[in-house]
Amino acid sequence: MVAARRQRAAAALASVVDAQIEPVREDPGLPVLPALHGLLPGLRRGQVVEVDGTGALALALLAAPSQDGSWCGVVRMPELGVAAAAELGCNIDRLLLVDEPGERWVDVTAALLESADVVLLQPPARPPTGVVRRLVALARKSGSALVVAGGWEGSSLRLKVESSSWSGIDQGHGRLRSRRVKVVASGRMVGGRPRTAWLWLPGPDGSVSNADLASVASMEERLAARAAAVGGDDTEPTGDDATSPAEVA
Amino acid sequence: MTPPRVLVLWCPDWPLTAAGTDPAVPAVVLTSGRVSACTAAARATGVRRGQRLRDAQRYCPDVEVLDEDPEGEARAFEQVVSVIEETCPRVEVVRPGLAAIPARGPSRYYGGEEVVGGMIRDAVLGRDFVCAVGVADGTFAANLAARAAFDDDGLRLIPSSSTAGFLAPHPVSVLEMPELTGVLFRLGIRTLGDLATLPPRDVLARFGAEGGVAHRLATGQEARPPAPRATDEDLSAHIDFDQPVEQTEPAVFAAKALADQMHAKLGERGLACVRVEVEAGTADGETRSRLWRHDGLLSSLAVAERVRWQLDAWRTAGQLNGHLTHLRLAPDQVVIDTGRQLSLWGQAENDEQVARAATRIQVMLGHAAVTRPQLAGGRGPGERVVRVPWGDSVAPTLPADRPWPGRLPQPSPAVVHPEPPPARVLDAAGTPVAVSGRSTVSAPPARLTVGKKEHTITGWTGPWPVREYWWERSRHRRCARFQVTTEDGRAWLLAIEDGRWSVEAVYD
Repeated sequence: MVAARRQRAAAALASVVDAQIEPVREDPGLPVLPALHGLLPGLRRGQVVEVDGTGALALALLAAPSQDGSWCGVVRMPELGVAAAAELGCNIDRLLLVDEPGERWVDVTAALLESADVVLLQPPARPPTGVVRRLVALARKSGSALVVAGGWEGSSLRLKVESSSWSGIDQGHGRLRSRRVKVVASGRMVGGRPRTAWLWLPGPDGSVSNADLASVASMEERLAARAAAVGGDDTEPTGDDATSPAEVA
Repeated sequence: MTPPRVLVLWCPDWPLTAAGTDPAVPAVVLTSGRVSACTAAARATGVRRGQRLRDAQRYCPDVEVLDEDPEGEARAFEQVVSVIEETCPRVEVVRPGLAAIPARGPSRYYGGEEVVGGMIRDAVLGRDFVCAVGVADGTFAANLAARAAFDDDGLRLIPSSSTAGFLAPHPVSVLEMPELTGVLFRLGIRTLGDLATLPPRDVLARFGAEGGVAHRLATGQEARPPAPRATDEDLSAHIDFDQPVEQTEPAVFAAKALADQMHAKLGERGLACVRVEVEAGTADGETRSRLWRHDGLLSSLAVAERVRWQLDAWRTAGQLNGHLTHLRLAPDQVVIDTGRQLSLWGQAENDEQVARAATRIQVMLGHAAVTRPQLAGGRGPGERVVRVPWGDSVAPTLPADRPWPGRLPQPSPAVVHPEPPPARVLDAAGTPVAVSGRSTVSAPPARLTVGKKEHTITGWTGPWPVREYWWERSRHRRCARFQVTTEDGRAWLLAIEDGRWSVEAVYD
């Protein structure tokens, strides 16, 4: 009688163990554009990412979170090209700009870290170590990602544009159309081995996409097909083109 | 429990009356792009509240458009309130255009609600303000009674016994809870009577606190059950100014802190207040007070805003002349706080957090320090964006969705210098490059110097001449733009104006 019961219990337990228990998924963090997946799978909450320069790469990091409805705070970047941000895929309704916080940039960044999901900061030339540590700790505590455009100790990932080349421009004619860049990711998060990715930043269609050799070939095919369909080369902006500069009287 | 008798005075289309518009002239007031009030003449043509301006103009092409001016409305309404105060004290301003008075005391004193209502109506009409008066159980029913009275002789009494019957035929939309009433309407609950017949418990279970409030109103009760509390507790907050203040601004600043204190006191006890009493005293011994509707919905900033309106109104009316010595905020009619339902997934909560952070930074650095970008129209890289201070909603003066011939082609530069730094552009021989009036370049540019750095130009295009606003001297601008790539892989947007080169933007 008792043995039978024990058997039943054991069988029940076995079925529980056999059933694959779905592991509790970690917080997926904040998304990044698919083209950047080769460099970082996503912005982890509490992570500090260092980007060299205030250019398109920093803006591209804001694109996916802002589209997802996250607020992005931007501190000390009066030169941020909002139109470029919009073209790279940012939802500019979710941007909050504090252009000139002056001496109070630490307090402003701290206030934004507590509420916005991503904070993009251009720190002054040599930020004091204490301040750096405080903000890194605050980012970890509040679960926001801090993207720093400039030098910063204690970042877990460093993104650097190693080479970049613009196309579409020649001696006296054409216009800037696309840029192919080589981005290198290094730091603790990728282990000892830096990752490299070729990106269109932006591509001929204005978006950020992969630019490794395979995708370049397919992109060229697509463009060739489009040019054939349109029936001509359109490198030079002409007066009747709505987006081309012309004298306005 | 039946609510106390309330007398409500309603001035229709108050925002327009306050602006001094004749009801016979079609006019609308806009609040964030939508019509928030319109004159009788505009209404006759089909204009309604909540319409977009475009639709309103379709109905009535020559409609006059006014901007919202809450301070002006509050100031103008003070004239009406002071007229009422000559007859009975304790006037509560629900919002500019709508005032409520407890009816029991005055009606005993003057001998009947009809007498008081008639006196107040005639007094306000005597000052040339169009109005209607309703008396009923509770503010909600009295407000509807006043609206019903408007087409009549301007006075409507609803006896206690027939309040429910009076409310029943009104559509649920009069509750002014658009989200809730939208659902109710689709469920086939079209009138307050339909809603009142439902069991209160089920309504509360299905629609939460808001549904409970709606049901209570529909059955002719107060929106919230009154909170039993010890009467000796002082929930008010007040401040004595050591230095009597002359300007409104410091008082408003203090009011924000007072409102915080008051909300904290109420919050500790899980209470909210229906009204807040604003009391101000001056150095020459004058004291004024006024009630404002609160309903547990106002933030501290909103309370401070009402204090500002009230102080301005008193000062304009000459009722508060000396320097302010004290300010007091007291909650009136305390109820149990049912809280607010946060929307699913915490999105709204996040927005609120961001709003709080933005306000905090504005306190630190000033109102214009926190901005939200908006795309605007323009040709240069800097002109295409306006930065709107947080909390303001400004439509760009130059809309982005027009054709802007000569606009910079995409892609846009990622770094736009607010103040373009000067540059030097030399040709291969080392002489500065110039552009003639006919847009010819003196020689192909070869070297670019920005600051102390020198770059070799690998590719260039231009000039793209721009001549803007030649009809306006102060905004007139004539320049030519170049896109240039340099050997370090960067691309630049250069401009030459009056022979001087500058770096407008960098494609980084």
